[in-house]
Amino acid sequence: MNEPVAEREFAGEAPSGFAAPEFAGVYTEHSRAIYYLALRFLGDPEKAADATHDVFLKAFRKFDSFRGEASVRTWLYRIAINHCRNLQQSWHERHVFPQADEAVWENAAAKTDSPLRVLETKELSQRIQRTLDALPEEYRLLLLLVADEELSYEQMAGLTEQSAGAVRGKLHRARKAFVAHFEKTA
Amino acid sequence: MKRRTTFRTDQQQEQTAAHQAQPASGHEFATPEELLRFDAAQTVVPTEIAQRLQKSSADLPPPARSWLRRLFGS
Repeated sequence: MNEPVAEREFAGEAPSGFAAPEFAGVYTEHSRAIYYLALRFLGDPEKAADATHDVFLKAFRKFDSFRGEASVRTWLYRIAINHCRNLQQSWHERHVFPQADEAVWENAAAKTDSPLRVLETKELSQRIQRTLDALPEEYRLLLLLVADEELSYEQMAGLTEQSAGAVRGKLHRARKAFVAHFEKTA
Repeated sequence: MKRRTTFRTDQQQEQTAAHQAQPASGHEFATPEELLRFDAAQTVVPTEIAQRLQKSSADLPPPARSWLRRLFGS
C-alpha cells in the first residue's frame, strides 16, 4: 500500500545535517504519519510537535531494539502510541480538549491556500478533533491507524494488542460513533 | 460559499458506486478514515521538528551501522 502522492509532497523536510544521514530518510518517510497521530491523539499542535521530536529521538537512540521483525512504520507507531499515552497520563488531560493557540491552527493550512480554504481547513480540523476527543481512546486510536493505508489489520492488531477480528469489530463501532459525533459538531 | 462536510449514506454510496474510481468531490467522504486521510494530507509537519531533531541527535552517537544496513538493505 503506497502513500498518496499528496502525502509525500507535504511530508516533513528531512534534516540534511543529521549525524546519521540514513536516519533523515526514516524521518522523511514517516514524520507525517507520526506527527498526525500525535496531533490527533493529543489534540494540540505544539504538544504533537514535541512528541514527534521525542519519538524520533527515541527511535534514533533505540536502534538496537529494532530487529526488523516489524516494519519501521509499525515500530515508530508503537513508540509514538506509548509516548502519547504516557504524556496524557502525566498531564491528566483525558477527555479535555486543549485550547490550542489560534495562530497554530492558522499555520496548519498551507501558506498558498486562499482565505476561504484556510477557514475551511481550520473548521474541519477543529471538528475532527472535537469528534475524536469525544470518542473512547481505543476507538480514536483504531480510526487513526486504519486511516494509514500502509497498515494491515494484523499490524493494527499487534499495535493495539488484540486480534484482527476484534479490531474489525471495534472499528465498525468506532466508525459509527465517529459519524454520529461528527454530525453533532456541524 | 462554504462547503459542507458530510458522510454518504449506504444508499448514496450505492447510487454513486459507478463513480467510486473518482476522488470524492468537495468535502464528502464515504468513511471516517477517508476523512482522516484527507485531514492528514492537509496537515503540515512543522519544519522546526526536523531542526530540533538535527540538534538533538548531533549530541548522540550515530546509530549502529548494522541497523541501518538492515533497514536499507545495503
